Amino acid sequence: MSSGSKHEIVIAGRGGQGILLAGYILGKALVDEGYYVVNSEEYSAETRGGDSKAELIVAKDEEPDLMTVQRADIAAFMYTDQMSKYYKLVGKSATLVLDSTFIKEAPKDAGKVFMAPFTDVAEKQVGNIRAANMVMLGYFAAKTGLVGLDPLINAMKSVTNPNWVEVNAKALKAGYELV
Amino acid sequence: MKAEFLNSNQAVAEGAMAAGLGVYVGYPITPSSDMFEYLSEELPKRGGSVFQAEDEIASINALVGASLAGAKSMTATSGPGFSLMMEGIGFAAMVEAPLMIVDVMRAGPSTGIATQIGQGDIYQARWGSHGVYNLVAYAPASAQEAYDYAIKSFNAAYRVRTPVVLMTDAVLAHTRERVVLRDPGELEIVGRKAPKVAPDQYRPYRPDPEDLVPPMAFYGEGYHPIAESLSHDERGYYKTDDEIYRALVSRLVRKVEVNKSKLIASKSYYVEDADVLFVAIGSMARNLLALVRELRGRGIKAGMFRPISLWPFDDESFVAAAARASKIVTVELNQGQLYQILKGILWDNRNKVSNPTIYNLDMPLPTLPTPDEIMGEIESRGWKLW
Repeated sequence: MSSGSKHEIVIAGRGGQGILLAGYILGKALVDEGYYVVNSEEYSAETRGGDSKAELIVAKDEEPDLMTVQRADIAAFMYTDQMSKYYKLVGKSATLVLDSTFIKEAPKDAGKVFMAPFTDVAEKQVGNIRAANMVMLGYFAAKTGLVGLDPLINAMKSVTNPNWVEVNAKALKAGYELV
Repeated sequence: MKAEFLNSNQAVAEGAMAAGLGVYVGYPITPSSDMFEYLSEELPKRGGSVFQAEDEIASINALVGASLAGAKSMTATSGPGFSLMMEGIGFAAMVEAPLMIVDVMRAGPSTGIATQIGQGDIYQARWGSHGVYNLVAYAPASAQEAYDYAIKSFNAAYRVRTPVVLMTDAVLAHTRERVVLRDPGELEIVGRKAPKVAPDQYRPYRPDPEDLVPPMAFYGEGYHPIAESLSHDERGYYKTDDEIYRALVSRLVRKVEVNKSKLIASKSYYVEDADVLFVAIGSMARNLLALVRELRGRGIKAGMFRPISLWPFDDESFVAAAARASKIVTVELNQGQLYQILKGILWDNRNKVSNPTIYNLDMPLPTLPTPDEIMGEIESRGWKLW
């Protein structure tokens, strides 16, 4: 990310997919790299299956005024319903990162689209379907170039339960190395 | 000092602990619950106590007891729980128990939408309990301010011996930002004014004539203070005489007024030449400020006034900010509560402003509008603001 640049990022999916944790870890990694980050969360009352959305407003030089995303230039969606619901927040020619386990077709007017089966990779390659969010995050970092793998792993270690550090690190790496 | 990446619920918890929080009592309710969780982990490590009561009514009443026993006391809740606390807030006001209530505003009325934002509790915070009393309420607009005003809320509570309401909202509560946590030596911490007389001379409700606040003896120090929720004299004995009642409740109101300069807070943006002055609080003020900067970029003389103390209101700063404005626009997620407050202030100060028109951009939405959506709402009203 070049100095002085700003990004508005949306990450959305179903409750239970680890969307909010992915947003938190991405935010923490960017803060550790010296960025100002405003990381808001929205979720429904259901623990599983409802809407779940993390937003990040990222800036290098000054604290952002905005609390919430107006026109995302980067978005990651892990489920079709929430992609439909929140695509209105995504600006023209944005970069999209999609979980092709659930999303078979990208929106027609999208800019760059990067798709990979995060949930399948988590289940079959990492050995834990619940780490799909970390596979997404590793892939997201590699494709957008926002942040490196090491800062992500360090941020993950500082905010997740120690029992999950090993599987999460494996999942982040698997996602980062996905082509 | 150190910087952390915290949401406003966590920032309030950190601020309260920095101010010396001793007792947290609460009942979980979205979107305040993660403050409870955070304090359950952190406060016992720092020597304080956390207690889950059976409901919000028990919570607020337990806090009055904890406060009178000498602990800095706090709860956090949201609309439905805040409504249940109203009787206890009046009790705290009557017995002059300093304590803090965090109201994380969500969409209402009633249970509304549990996880979504609202800004409809502005009047309730001030007038929700029955009878004649006064209190202090602050509305921060960032995680940093949530931390800073948690500390200032406790300072205000002890300065004037009232309950203090810290009003955040569901978006602030769940938005992480960089927060600078200060070291103990960097903070102004206000404690109680202790009695200077012997226990047999002590009158628990005899005010200091300067600030109208009675020195506070804690339970167990030998002063035997009485906490009387009925009308009472300086000793705390139940009395119904007109003069005693009037002196008591007048003082409960006036002690906030005479200490107002130490309690008020606000921020003004681009007001020096502002023709259109926007007014908003909390997270709404953040997205509104982004719109104001956009308008400035287009050559429109827009400015913004952001009250931080809602009660008492910083009316002098508002009037100064509005001095050159021909239009004032309140922007809020309710039916126009700031609008009602400002109409009164403008009337009282009609000689100091140039007869501005005040517009009520009331948006009772359960989501925070983006700058574009605020602009769209303005255009849909057909107002000629520029």
